[in-house]
Amino acid sequence: MTGGLDGLKAAFPTAEAGMSADGIPYLRLATADLSEAAGRLRNELGYGRFIDLTAVDDPDRVDRFELLYLLYSMAERAWLRLRVRTDETVASVTPLFRAANWCEREVYDLFGVRFEGHPELTRIMLPDDWEGHPLRRDAPVGGEPVDFTVTRDVYGTGPSAPPGPERSG
Amino acid sequence: MAIQSERRGSTLHINMGPQHPSTHGVLRLELELDGETVVSCKPVIGYLHTGIEKTFEVKTYLHGVTLTDRMDYLNPLGNNLAYALSIEKLFECEIPERAVVGRVLLAELTRINSHLVWVGTTGLDLGASSVFLYAFREREALLDLFEWMSGARMMTSFIRPGGLAEDFEPEWLAAVDHFLDVLPSRVDDYEALLTNNPLFKERTVGIGVLKAEDAIEMGVSGPILRASGVAHDLRKTNPYCGYERYPFDAIVGQNGDCYDRYRVRIAELRESIKLCKQALSFLPPGPVKTADRKIVPPPREELGRSMEALIHHFKIYTEGIRPPAGEAYVPVESPRGELGFYVVSDGSGRPVRVHERAPSFANLQAISLVAQGGLVADLIAIISSIDPIMGEVDR
Repeated sequence: MTGGLDGLKAAFPTAEAGMSADGIPYLRLATADLSEAAGRLRNELGYGRFIDLTAVDDPDRVDRFELLYLLYSMAERAWLRLRVRTDETVASVTPLFRAANWCEREVYDLFGVRFEGHPELTRIMLPDDWEGHPLRRDAPVGGEPVDFTVTRDVYGTGPSAPPGPERSG
Repeated sequence: MAIQSERRGSTLHINMGPQHPSTHGVLRLELELDGETVVSCKPVIGYLHTGIEKTFEVKTYLHGVTLTDRMDYLNPLGNNLAYALSIEKLFECEIPERAVVGRVLLAELTRINSHLVWVGTTGLDLGASSVFLYAFREREALLDLFEWMSGARMMTSFIRPGGLAEDFEPEWLAAVDHFLDVLPSRVDDYEALLTNNPLFKERTVGIGVLKAEDAIEMGVSGPILRASGVAHDLRKTNPYCGYERYPFDAIVGQNGDCYDRYRVRIAELRESIKLCKQALSFLPPGPVKTADRKIVPPPREELGRSMEALIHHFKIYTEGIRPPAGEAYVPVESPRGELGFYVVSDGSGRPVRVHERAPSFANLQAISLVAQGGLVADLIAIISSIDPIMGEVDR
Protein backbone atom coordinates (compact mmCIF):
# COMPACT_ATOMS: atom_id res chain seq x y z
CA MET A 1 0.00 0.00 0.00
CA THR A 2 1.35 3.39 -0.90
CA GLY A 3 -1.04 5.43 1.20
CA GLY A 4 -2.17 7.80 -1.51
CA LEU A 5 -0.40 11.02 -2.35
CA ASP A 6 1.68 11.21 0.84
CA GLY A 7 2.92 7.68 0.34
CA LEU A 8 3.93 8.52 -3.22
CA LYS A 9 5.79 11.62 -2.03
CA ALA A 10 7.67 9.51 0.50
CA ALA A 11 8.49 6.82 -2.07
CA PHE A 12 9.67 9.30 -4.71
CA PRO A 13 11.20 12.24 -2.83
CA THR A 14 12.88 13.71 -5.91
CA ALA A 15 9.76 13.69 -8.09
CA GLU A 16 7.06 16.33 -7.97
CA ALA A 17 3.79 14.82 -6.78
CA GLY A 18 0.39 16.41 -7.02
CA MET A 19 -3.29 15.91 -7.61
CA SER A 20 -5.15 16.64 -10.84
CA ALA A 21 -8.62 18.13 -10.98
CA ASP A 22 -10.06 14.67 -11.56
CA GLY A 23 -8.72 13.37 -8.25
CA ILE A 24 -6.00 11.21 -9.82
CA PRO A 25 -2.58 11.72 -8.19
CA TYR A 26 0.37 12.32 -10.46
CA LEU A 27 4.13 12.08 -10.35
CA ARG A 28 6.19 14.38 -12.55
CA LEU A 29 9.36 12.54 -13.49
CA ALA A 30 12.55 13.42 -15.31
CA THR A 31 12.93 11.48 -18.56
CA ALA A 32 15.93 9.59 -17.18
CA ASP A 33 13.99 8.41 -14.10
CA LEU A 34 11.01 6.96 -15.95
CA SER A 35 12.08 3.32 -16.27
CA GLU A 36 13.32 3.05 -12.71
CA ALA A 37 10.21 4.69 -11.25
CA ALA A 38 7.85 2.63 -13.41
CA GLY A 39 9.65 -0.54 -12.35
CA ARG A 40 9.33 0.32 -8.67
CA LEU A 41 5.67 1.25 -9.05
CA ARG A 42 4.99 -2.04 -10.79
CA ASN A 43 7.02 -4.37 -8.61
CA GLU A 44 6.93 -2.78 -5.17
CA LEU A 45 3.93 -0.48 -4.98
CA GLY A 46 1.27 -2.57 -6.72
CA TYR A 47 0.66 -0.44 -9.82
CA GLY A 48 0.94 -3.46 -12.10
CA ARG A 49 -1.91 -2.69 -14.47
CA PHE A 50 -1.02 -0.43 -17.37
CA ILE A 51 -4.15 1.42 -18.46
CA ASP A 52 -3.18 4.02 -20.98
CA LEU A 53 -0.53 6.24 -22.49
CA THR A 54 -1.10 9.43 -24.38
CA ALA A 55 0.69 12.67 -25.11
CA VAL A 56 -0.09 16.36 -25.24
CA ASP A 57 1.88 18.55 -27.62
CA ASP A 58 2.91 22.15 -27.00
CA PRO A 59 5.19 23.20 -29.89
CA ASP A 60 6.20 26.43 -28.14
CA ARG A 61 7.94 24.67 -25.28
CA VAL A 62 11.46 23.27 -25.23
CA ASP A 63 10.42 19.72 -24.40
CA ARG A 64 7.28 19.90 -26.44
CA PHE A 65 5.62 16.57 -25.61
CA GLU A 66 4.17 15.70 -22.25
CA LEU A 67 3.66 11.96 -21.96
CA LEU A 68 0.92 10.80 -19.61
CA TYR A 69 1.08 7.23 -18.38
CA LEU A 70 -1.92 5.91 -16.52
CA LEU A 71 -1.45 3.01 -14.12
CA TYR A 72 -3.97 1.27 -11.91
CA SER A 73 -3.51 -0.50 -8.61
CA MET A 74 -5.89 -3.43 -8.20
CA ALA A 75 -5.27 -3.49 -4.43
CA GLU A 76 -5.96 0.20 -3.86
CA ARG A 77 -8.51 0.54 -6.64
CA ALA A 78 -6.81 3.75 -7.67
CA TRP A 79 -5.23 5.27 -10.73
CA LEU A 80 -1.86 6.99 -10.89
CA ARG A 81 -0.60 9.28 -13.60
CA LEU A 82 3.06 9.63 -14.56
CA ARG A 83 4.05 12.80 -16.40
CA VAL A 84 7.22 13.01 -18.42
CA ARG A 85 8.31 15.83 -20.70
CA THR A 86 10.39 14.97 -23.72
CA ASP A 87 11.49 16.31 -27.04
CA GLU A 88 11.46 13.17 -29.27
CA THR A 89 13.02 10.29 -27.32
CA VAL A 90 12.15 8.49 -24.12
CA ALA A 91 12.82 5.01 -22.73
CA SER A 92 10.19 2.40 -23.55
CA VAL A 93 8.25 0.84 -20.69
CA THR A 94 7.11 -2.10 -22.85
CA PRO A 95 9.76 -4.39 -21.29
CA LEU A 96 8.05 -3.69 -17.95
CA PHE A 97 4.42 -3.50 -19.03
CA ARG A 98 3.41 -5.66 -22.00
CA ALA A 99 0.23 -3.63 -22.37
CA ALA A 100 2.27 -0.51 -23.21
CA ASN A 101 3.31 -1.97 -26.58
CA TRP A 102 0.45 -0.65 -28.72
CA CYS A 103 0.08 2.55 -26.71
CA GLU A 104 3.72 3.49 -27.39
CA ARG A 105 3.31 2.62 -31.06
CA GLU A 106 0.26 4.88 -31.20
CA VAL A 107 2.10 7.82 -29.63
CA TYR A 108 5.06 7.20 -31.96
CA ASP A 109 2.76 7.10 -34.96
CA LEU A 110 0.65 10.15 -34.18
CA PHE A 111 3.16 12.34 -32.31
CA GLY A 112 6.56 11.13 -33.47
CA VAL A 113 7.94 10.40 -30.00
CA ARG A 114 10.54 7.62 -30.19
CA PHE A 115 10.55 4.95 -27.48
CA GLU A 116 14.00 3.45 -27.06
CA GLY A 117 14.00 -0.27 -26.40
CA HIS A 118 10.56 -0.88 -27.87
CA PRO A 119 10.50 -4.28 -29.62
CA GLU A 120 8.66 -3.11 -32.73
CA LEU A 121 8.32 0.64 -33.07
CA THR A 122 6.30 0.95 -36.28
CA ARG A 123 3.26 2.93 -37.28
CA ILE A 124 0.04 1.44 -35.98
CA MET A 125 -2.82 3.66 -37.15
CA LEU A 126 -1.43 5.19 -40.34
CA PRO A 127 0.11 3.50 -43.39
CA ASP A 128 3.84 2.79 -43.13
CA ASP A 129 4.66 5.31 -45.88
CA TRP A 130 2.79 8.18 -44.22
CA GLU A 131 4.79 11.37 -43.74
CA GLY A 132 4.48 13.43 -40.59
CA HIS A 133 2.68 12.97 -37.31
CA PRO A 134 -0.89 14.30 -37.44
CA LEU A 135 -1.62 14.78 -33.73
CA ARG A 136 1.14 17.37 -33.39
CA ARG A 137 -0.43 20.77 -32.84
CA ASP A 138 1.37 22.23 -35.86
CA ALA A 139 0.03 19.56 -38.24
CA PRO A 140 -2.84 21.10 -40.20
CA VAL A 141 -6.32 19.65 -40.22
CA GLY A 142 -7.67 18.58 -43.59
CA GLY A 143 -4.41 18.99 -45.48
CA GLU A 144 -4.05 15.41 -46.64
CA PRO A 145 -5.29 14.20 -50.02
CA VAL A 146 -8.30 11.87 -49.85
CA ASP A 147 -8.40 8.89 -52.18
CA PHE A 148 -11.40 8.42 -54.47
CA THR A 149 -12.55 12.00 -53.95
CA VAL A 150 -14.56 13.37 -56.86
CA THR A 151 -12.73 16.51 -57.89
CA ARG A 152 -14.68 17.38 -60.99
CA ASP A 153 -18.18 18.73 -60.57
CA VAL A 154 -20.35 15.77 -61.49
CA TYR A 155 -23.76 17.24 -60.73
CA GLY A 156 -23.13 20.78 -61.88
CA THR A 157 -24.12 22.23 -58.55
CA GLY A 158 -20.77 22.98 -56.96
CA PRO A 159 -18.99 26.31 -56.88
CA SER A 160 -16.61 25.15 -59.62
CA ALA A 161 -19.44 24.54 -62.09
CA PRO A 162 -19.25 26.81 -65.12
CA PRO A 163 -22.23 29.17 -65.10
CA GLY A 164 -24.66 27.73 -67.63
CA PRO A 165 -27.31 29.84 -69.37
CA GLU A 166 -30.08 28.73 -66.99
CA ARG A 167 -27.90 29.38 -63.92
CA SER A 168 -26.37 32.72 -64.86
CA GLY A 169 -29.68 34.51 -64.97
CA MET B 1 -9.93 -16.38 -45.85
CA ALA B 2 -6.58 -16.39 -47.57
CA ILE B 3 -5.83 -13.21 -49.43
CA GLN B 4 -2.20 -14.08 -49.89
CA SER B 5 -0.12 -16.85 -48.52
CA GLU B 6 3.41 -18.12 -48.79
CA ARG B 7 5.30 -21.07 -47.43
CA ARG B 8 8.30 -20.35 -45.24
CA GLY B 9 10.00 -23.42 -43.86
CA SER B 10 7.32 -25.63 -42.43
CA THR B 11 4.95 -22.89 -41.29
CA LEU B 12 2.43 -21.11 -43.42
CA HIS B 13 1.98 -17.34 -43.27
CA ILE B 14 -1.54 -16.28 -43.99
CA ASN B 15 -3.62 -13.13 -43.81
CA MET B 16 -7.02 -13.20 -42.18
CA GLY B 17 -8.97 -10.10 -42.96
CA PRO B 18 -9.15 -7.13 -43.14
CA GLN B 19 -12.28 -7.85 -45.16
CA HIS B 20 -13.68 -10.92 -43.51
CA PRO B 21 -17.15 -11.11 -41.96
CA SER B 22 -16.00 -12.81 -38.78
CA THR B 23 -13.36 -10.22 -37.95
CA HIS B 24 -16.09 -7.80 -36.84
CA GLY B 25 -15.00 -4.84 -38.86
CA VAL B 26 -11.75 -4.23 -40.63
CA LEU B 27 -9.31 -6.18 -38.51
CA ARG B 28 -6.41 -7.96 -40.13
CA LEU B 29 -4.62 -10.84 -38.46
CA GLU B 30 -1.24 -11.99 -39.69
CA LEU B 31 -1.18 -15.67 -38.85
CA GLU B 32 1.68 -18.10 -38.80
CA LEU B 33 0.26 -21.60 -39.02
CA ASP B 34 1.72 -25.01 -38.46
CA GLY B 35 -0.94 -27.13 -40.08
CA GLU B 36 -4.13 -26.05 -38.30
CA THR B 37 -2.32 -24.71 -35.25
CA VAL B 38 -1.72 -21.01 -34.76
CA VAL B 39 1.98 -20.47 -34.05
CA SER B 40 1.65 -16.71 -33.85
CA CYS B 41 -1.11 -14.22 -34.44
CA LYS B 42 -0.34 -10.56 -35.00
CA PRO B 43 -3.24 -8.14 -35.23
CA VAL B 44 -2.81 -5.27 -37.69
CA ILE B 45 -5.13 -2.35 -37.02
CA GLY B 46 -5.65 1.15 -38.32
CA TYR B 47 -7.91 0.42 -41.29
CA LEU B 48 -10.68 2.47 -39.71
CA HIS B 49 -8.50 5.30 -38.44
CA THR B 50 -10.33 8.55 -39.08
CA GLY B 51 -8.35 10.96 -36.94
CA ILE B 52 -11.19 11.52 -34.47
CA GLU B 53 -8.83 12.74 -31.76
CA LYS B 54 -7.46 15.39 -34.12
CA THR B 55 -10.96 16.40 -35.15
CA PHE B 56 -11.85 17.04 -31.49
CA GLU B 57 -9.27 19.83 -31.43
CA VAL B 58 -11.14 21.91 -34.01
CA LYS B 59 -14.63 21.28 -32.62
CA THR B 60 -16.35 22.88 -29.67
CA TYR B 61 -17.00 20.69 -26.67
CA LEU B 62 -20.63 20.22 -27.68
CA HIS B 63 -19.73 19.24 -31.25
CA GLY B 64 -17.39 16.69 -29.70
CA VAL B 65 -20.36 14.76 -28.29
CA THR B 66 -21.32 13.68 -31.80
CA LEU B 67 -17.79 12.38 -32.40
CA THR B 68 -17.97 10.16 -29.32
CA ASP B 69 -21.04 8.38 -30.76
CA ARG B 70 -18.97 7.25 -33.68
CA MET B 71 -16.13 5.67 -31.73
CA ASP B 72 -17.83 2.68 -30.16
CA TYR B 73 -20.92 2.60 -32.35
CA LEU B 74 -22.57 -0.09 -30.26
CA ASN B 75 -22.27 1.95 -27.09
CA PRO B 76 -22.97 5.55 -28.18
CA LEU B 77 -24.71 6.60 -24.97
CA GLY B 78 -21.93 5.14 -22.84
CA ASN B 79 -19.39 7.12 -24.83
CA ASN B 80 -21.48 10.28 -24.46
CA LEU B 81 -21.58 9.62 -20.73
CA ALA B 82 -17.82 9.18 -20.31
CA TYR B 83 -17.15 12.34 -22.33
CA ALA B 84 -19.75 14.35 -20.42
CA LEU B 85 -18.41 13.18 -17.05
CA SER B 86 -14.88 14.31 -17.91
CA ILE B 87 -16.06 17.77 -18.96
CA GLU B 88 -18.32 18.07 -15.93
CA LYS B 89 -15.35 17.18 -13.76
CA LEU B 90 -13.50 20.18 -15.21
CA PHE B 91 -16.49 22.43 -14.47
CA GLU B 92 -17.12 20.76 -11.09
CA CYS B 93 -20.81 21.25 -11.65
CA GLU B 94 -23.77 19.55 -10.03
CA ILE B 95 -26.05 17.43 -12.21
CA PRO B 96 -29.73 17.16 -11.27
CA GLU B 97 -30.81 13.85 -9.82
CA ARG B 98 -33.23 13.03 -12.65
CA ALA B 99 -30.41 13.33 -15.17
CA VAL B 100 -28.05 11.17 -13.07
CA VAL B 101 -30.60 8.36 -12.76
CA GLY B 102 -31.61 8.79 -16.41
CA ARG B 103 -27.97 8.36 -17.40
CA VAL B 104 -27.78 5.05 -15.57
CA LEU B 105 -30.94 3.95 -17.36
CA LEU B 106 -29.52 4.92 -20.74
CA ALA B 107 -26.07 3.46 -20.08
CA GLU B 108 -27.61 0.13 -19.10
CA LEU B 109 -30.00 0.13 -22.07
CA THR B 110 -26.99 0.66 -24.30
CA ARG B 111 -25.18 -2.18 -22.58
CA ILE B 112 -28.19 -4.39 -23.35
CA ASN B 113 -28.05 -3.21 -26.96
CA SER B 114 -24.34 -3.98 -27.23
CA HIS B 115 -24.60 -7.41 -25.59
CA LEU B 116 -27.57 -8.30 -27.82
CA VAL B 117 -25.47 -7.59 -30.89
CA TRP B 118 -22.68 -9.59 -29.34
CA VAL B 119 -24.83 -12.65 -28.61
CA GLY B 120 -26.30 -12.52 -32.10
CA THR B 121 -23.06 -12.13 -34.01
CA THR B 122 -21.25 -14.69 -31.87
CA GLY B 123 -23.96 -17.21 -32.65
CA LEU B 124 -23.68 -16.33 -36.31
CA ASP B 125 -19.89 -16.73 -36.28
CA LEU B 126 -20.17 -20.16 -34.72
CA GLY B 127 -22.90 -21.36 -37.04
CA ALA B 128 -25.95 -20.76 -34.84
CA SER B 129 -27.62 -18.30 -37.17
CA SER B 130 -31.09 -18.42 -35.58
CA VAL B 131 -29.94 -16.69 -32.38
CA PHE B 132 -28.77 -13.78 -34.52
CA LEU B 133 -32.30 -13.26 -35.82
CA TYR B 134 -33.82 -13.39 -32.33
CA ALA B 135 -31.23 -11.10 -30.75
CA PHE B 136 -31.56 -8.55 -33.54
CA ARG B 137 -35.34 -8.59 -33.21
CA GLU B 138 -34.98 -7.30 -29.63
CA ARG B 139 -32.22 -4.95 -30.66
CA GLU B 140 -34.48 -3.42 -33.29
CA ALA B 141 -37.10 -2.77 -30.62
CA LEU B 142 -34.44 -1.10 -28.51
CA LEU B 143 -33.17 1.01 -31.41
CA ASP B 144 -36.76 2.09 -32.04
CA LEU B 145 -36.87 3.26 -28.43
CA PHE B 146 -33.64 5.22 -28.94
CA GLU B 147 -35.09 6.76 -32.07
CA TRP B 148 -38.25 7.76 -30.24
CA MET B 149 -36.13 9.29 -27.47
CA SER B 150 -33.51 11.16 -29.47
CA GLY B 151 -34.47 11.06 -33.14
CA ALA B 152 -31.56 8.80 -34.03
CA ARG B 153 -31.29 5.04 -33.80
CA MET B 154 -27.59 4.77 -33.14
CA MET B 155 -25.85 8.15 -33.07
CA THR B 156 -28.01 9.49 -30.27
CA SER B 157 -25.79 12.21 -28.70
CA PHE B 158 -28.39 12.31 -25.94
CA ILE B 159 -26.15 12.55 -22.86
CA ARG B 160 -24.45 15.94 -23.00
CA PRO B 161 -22.23 17.94 -20.67
CA GLY B 162 -24.58 19.33 -18.04
CA GLY B 163 -27.24 16.64 -18.17
CA LEU B 164 -29.44 15.15 -20.86
CA ALA B 165 -30.52 16.64 -24.18
CA GLU B 166 -34.14 16.73 -23.05
CA ASP B 167 -36.56 15.14 -20.64
CA PHE B 168 -38.05 11.67 -21.18
CA GLU B 169 -41.65 11.42 -22.29
CA PRO B 170 -43.86 9.46 -19.87
CA GLU B 171 -45.04 7.26 -22.75
CA TRP B 172 -41.44 6.51 -23.64
CA LEU B 173 -40.69 5.45 -20.07
CA ALA B 174 -43.73 3.17 -20.15
CA ALA B 175 -42.53 1.65 -23.42
CA VAL B 176 -39.08 1.03 -21.92
CA ASP B 177 -40.72 -0.60 -18.91
CA HIS B 178 -42.70 -2.88 -21.20
CA PHE B 179 -39.58 -3.75 -23.19
CA LEU B 180 -37.79 -4.68 -19.96
CA ASP B 181 -40.74 -6.87 -18.93
CA VAL B 182 -40.52 -8.84 -22.15
CA LEU B 183 -36.74 -9.06 -22.47
CA PRO B 184 -35.94 -11.63 -19.71
CA SER B 185 -38.03 -14.31 -21.42
CA ARG B 186 -36.24 -13.52 -24.69
CA VAL B 187 -32.87 -13.92 -22.96
CA ASP B 188 -34.14 -17.32 -21.83
CA ASP B 189 -34.73 -18.10 -25.50
CA TYR B 190 -31.13 -17.24 -26.44
CA GLU B 191 -29.89 -19.35 -23.58
CA ALA B 192 -32.09 -22.23 -24.70
CA LEU B 193 -30.38 -22.04 -28.07
CA LEU B 194 -26.81 -21.73 -26.84
CA THR B 195 -26.03 -22.38 -23.19
CA ASN B 196 -26.40 -26.16 -23.22
CA ASN B 197 -26.04 -26.60 -26.95
CA PRO B 198 -23.34 -29.29 -27.36
CA LEU B 199 -22.13 -27.83 -30.67
CA PHE B 200 -21.79 -24.35 -29.17
CA LYS B 201 -20.02 -25.73 -26.10
CA GLU B 202 -17.69 -27.75 -28.30
CA ARG B 203 -16.62 -24.52 -29.98
CA THR B 204 -16.23 -22.44 -26.80
CA VAL B 205 -15.49 -24.46 -23.65
CA GLY B 206 -11.78 -24.44 -22.90
CA ILE B 207 -11.09 -22.37 -26.02
CA GLY B 208 -9.07 -19.16 -25.90
CA VAL B 209 -8.18 -19.25 -22.22
CA LEU B 210 -6.87 -15.99 -20.78
CA LYS B 211 -5.36 -16.38 -17.33
CA ALA B 212 -6.26 -13.84 -14.65
CA GLU B 213 -2.72 -12.52 -14.14
CA ASP B 214 -2.23 -12.12 -17.90
CA ALA B 215 -5.56 -10.32 -18.17
CA ILE B 216 -4.61 -7.86 -15.45
CA GLU B 217 -1.16 -7.24 -16.89
CA MET B 218 -2.43 -6.73 -20.43
CA GLY B 219 -4.80 -4.00 -19.24
CA VAL B 220 -7.77 -6.08 -20.35
CA SER B 221 -11.05 -4.92 -18.85
CA GLY B 222 -14.77 -5.54 -18.92
CA PRO B 223 -16.46 -8.93 -19.36
CA ILE B 224 -13.20 -10.51 -20.61
CA LEU B 225 -11.37 -9.62 -17.40
CA ARG B 226 -14.27 -10.78 -15.27
CA ALA B 227 -14.58 -14.05 -17.21
CA SER B 228 -10.99 -14.73 -16.17
CA GLY B 229 -12.10 -14.62 -12.55
CA VAL B 230 -11.12 -11.06 -11.63
CA ALA B 231 -13.95 -9.29 -9.83
CA HIS B 232 -13.26 -5.88 -11.30
CA ASP B 233 -16.17 -3.76 -12.44
CA LEU B 234 -15.78 0.02 -12.29
CA ARG B 235 -19.44 0.31 -11.36
CA LYS B 236 -18.48 -1.50 -8.14
CA THR B 237 -14.84 -0.61 -7.54
CA ASN B 238 -14.86 3.06 -8.58
CA PRO B 239 -18.56 3.94 -8.76
CA TYR B 240 -19.81 6.89 -10.80
CA CYS B 241 -23.35 8.19 -11.42
CA GLY B 242 -24.42 6.78 -8.05
CA TYR B 243 -24.01 3.13 -9.05
CA GLU B 244 -23.23 2.34 -5.40
CA ARG B 245 -26.94 2.82 -4.63
CA TYR B 246 -28.10 0.11 -7.03
CA PRO B 247 -28.12 -3.43 -5.72
CA PHE B 248 -26.71 -5.57 -8.53
CA ASP B 249 -24.08 -8.25 -8.94
CA ALA B 250 -20.79 -7.88 -10.75
CA ILE B 251 -20.66 -11.09 -12.75
CA VAL B 252 -17.44 -13.06 -12.47
CA GLY B 253 -16.46 -16.17 -14.40
CA GLN B 254 -13.83 -18.76 -13.57
CA ASN B 255 -12.06 -20.30 -16.52
CA GLY B 256 -11.38 -17.32 -18.77
CA ASP B 257 -12.42 -19.25 -21.87
CA CYS B 258 -14.83 -18.25 -24.63
CA TYR B 259 -17.69 -20.04 -22.91
CA ASP B 260 -17.21 -18.08 -19.68
CA ARG B 261 -17.12 -14.84 -21.63
CA TYR B 262 -20.46 -15.87 -23.09
CA ARG B 263 -21.86 -16.74 -19.65
CA VAL B 264 -20.63 -13.45 -18.17
CA ARG B 265 -22.24 -11.38 -20.92
CA ILE B 266 -25.54 -13.22 -20.72
CA ALA B 267 -25.60 -12.77 -16.94
CA GLU B 268 -24.71 -9.10 -17.41
CA LEU B 269 -27.62 -8.77 -19.76
CA ARG B 270 -29.90 -9.89 -16.94
CA GLU B 271 -28.18 -7.61 -14.43
CA SER B 272 -28.60 -4.67 -16.79
CA ILE B 273 -32.32 -5.39 -17.07
CA LYS B 274 -32.45 -5.33 -13.27
CA LEU B 275 -30.49 -2.06 -13.17
CA CYS B 276 -32.79 -0.45 -15.74
CA LYS B 277 -35.83 -1.47 -13.71
CA GLN B 278 -34.28 0.02 -10.59
CA ALA B 279 -33.37 3.22 -12.42
CA LEU B 280 -36.94 3.51 -13.67
CA SER B 281 -38.24 3.18 -10.12
CA PHE B 282 -35.67 5.67 -8.76
CA LEU B 283 -36.28 8.29 -11.45
CA PRO B 284 -37.29 11.44 -9.53
CA PRO B 285 -39.15 14.38 -11.03
CA GLY B 286 -37.21 17.55 -11.76
CA PRO B 287 -34.97 19.14 -14.35
CA VAL B 288 -32.60 17.10 -16.53
CA LYS B 289 -30.08 19.86 -17.17
CA THR B 290 -27.85 21.73 -14.79
CA ALA B 291 -28.88 25.27 -13.90
CA ASP B 292 -25.34 26.49 -14.62
CA ARG B 293 -25.79 28.80 -17.61
CA LYS B 294 -22.10 28.50 -18.50
CA ILE B 295 -22.68 24.87 -19.50
CA VAL B 296 -26.26 24.58 -20.69
CA PRO B 297 -27.95 27.42 -22.57
CA PRO B 298 -31.07 28.90 -20.94
CA PRO B 299 -34.49 27.68 -22.08
CA ARG B 300 -35.93 29.42 -25.10
CA GLU B 301 -38.76 31.19 -23.24
CA GLU B 302 -36.25 32.99 -20.99
CA LEU B 303 -34.57 34.70 -23.94
CA GLY B 304 -37.41 37.14 -24.47
CA ARG B 305 -37.48 38.19 -20.82
CA SER B 306 -33.89 38.22 -19.60
CA MET B 307 -30.95 40.09 -21.07
CA GLU B 308 -28.59 37.86 -19.11
CA ALA B 309 -30.15 34.73 -20.58
CA LEU B 310 -29.72 36.17 -24.05
CA ILE B 311 -26.03 36.85 -23.38
CA HIS B 312 -25.49 33.30 -22.12
CA HIS B 313 -27.30 31.92 -25.15
CA PHE B 314 -25.17 34.03 -27.47
CA LYS B 315 -21.89 33.13 -25.77
CA ILE B 316 -22.57 29.40 -25.78
CA TYR B 317 -23.63 29.30 -29.41
CA THR B 318 -20.79 31.49 -30.68
CA GLU B 319 -17.86 30.37 -28.53
CA GLY B 320 -19.07 27.12 -27.06
CA ILE B 321 -18.78 26.13 -23.43
CA ARG B 322 -15.44 26.94 -21.84
CA PRO B 323 -14.29 24.56 -19.09
CA PRO B 324 -11.64 25.91 -16.71
CA ALA B 325 -8.08 25.00 -17.64
CA GLY B 326 -7.08 21.55 -16.46
CA GLU B 327 -7.27 17.89 -17.27
CA ALA B 328 -9.78 15.20 -16.43
CA TYR B 329 -10.20 11.49 -16.97
CA VAL B 330 -13.37 9.94 -15.61
CA PRO B 331 -13.66 6.30 -16.66
CA VAL B 332 -16.89 4.36 -16.90
CA GLU B 333 -17.60 0.66 -17.34
CA SER B 334 -18.61 0.32 -20.96
CA PRO B 335 -19.92 -3.00 -22.35
CA ARG B 336 -16.32 -3.67 -23.31
CA GLY B 337 -14.52 -2.40 -20.23
CA GLU B 338 -12.80 0.69 -18.91
CA LEU B 339 -13.70 3.58 -21.16
CA GLY B 340 -12.62 7.12 -20.41
CA PHE B 341 -11.91 10.38 -22.12
CA TYR B 342 -8.77 12.24 -21.15
CA VAL B 343 -9.73 15.85 -21.80
CA VAL B 344 -7.25 18.74 -21.56
CA SER B 345 -8.67 22.26 -21.52
CA ASP B 346 -6.84 25.58 -21.70
CA GLY B 347 -9.94 27.55 -20.77
CA SER B 348 -10.97 28.25 -24.36
CA GLY B 349 -13.96 26.94 -26.28
CA ARG B 350 -12.07 24.12 -27.93
CA PRO B 351 -10.19 21.29 -26.23
CA VAL B 352 -6.39 21.14 -26.40
CA ARG B 353 -6.52 17.39 -26.45
CA VAL B 354 -9.16 14.69 -26.20
CA HIS B 355 -7.91 11.14 -25.95
CA GLU B 356 -10.10 8.12 -25.61
CA ARG B 357 -8.91 5.23 -23.51
CA ALA B 358 -10.62 2.62 -25.64
CA PRO B 359 -11.29 -0.73 -23.95
CA SER B 360 -11.29 -2.61 -27.29
CA PHE B 361 -7.78 -1.30 -28.02
CA ALA B 362 -6.34 -2.92 -24.90
CA ASN B 363 -8.51 -6.03 -25.17
CA LEU B 364 -7.54 -6.65 -28.78
CA GLN B 365 -3.86 -6.43 -27.92
CA ALA B 366 -4.28 -9.55 -25.80
CA ILE B 367 -5.50 -11.59 -28.77
CA SER B 368 -1.99 -12.74 -29.77
CA LEU B 369 -1.63 -14.20 -26.29
CA VAL B 370 -5.01 -15.92 -26.39
CA ALA B 371 -4.82 -17.27 -29.92
CA GLN B 372 -1.34 -18.75 -29.64
CA GLY B 373 -1.35 -22.55 -29.77
CA GLY B 374 -5.02 -22.81 -30.68
CA LEU B 375 -6.63 -23.89 -33.92
CA VAL B 376 -7.51 -21.54 -36.76
CA ALA B 377 -11.18 -22.42 -36.44
CA ASP B 378 -11.07 -21.44 -32.77
CA LEU B 379 -9.72 -18.05 -33.72
CA ILE B 380 -13.20 -17.16 -34.97
CA ALA B 381 -14.63 -17.93 -31.54
CA ILE B 382 -11.81 -15.98 -29.89
CA ILE B 383 -12.21 -12.81 -31.97
CA SER B 384 -15.90 -12.96 -31.35
CA SER B 385 -15.55 -13.46 -27.61
CA ILE B 386 -13.16 -10.50 -27.36
CA ASP B 387 -15.82 -8.35 -29.02
CA PRO B 388 -13.59 -5.66 -30.53
CA ILE B 389 -15.27 -2.62 -32.02
CA MET B 390 -12.88 -1.35 -34.65
CA GLY B 391 -14.41 2.13 -34.55
CA GLU B 392 -12.95 2.67 -31.10
CA VAL B 393 -9.78 0.62 -31.65
CA ASP B 394 -8.73 2.77 -34.61
CA ARG B 395 -10.57 6.01 -33.75
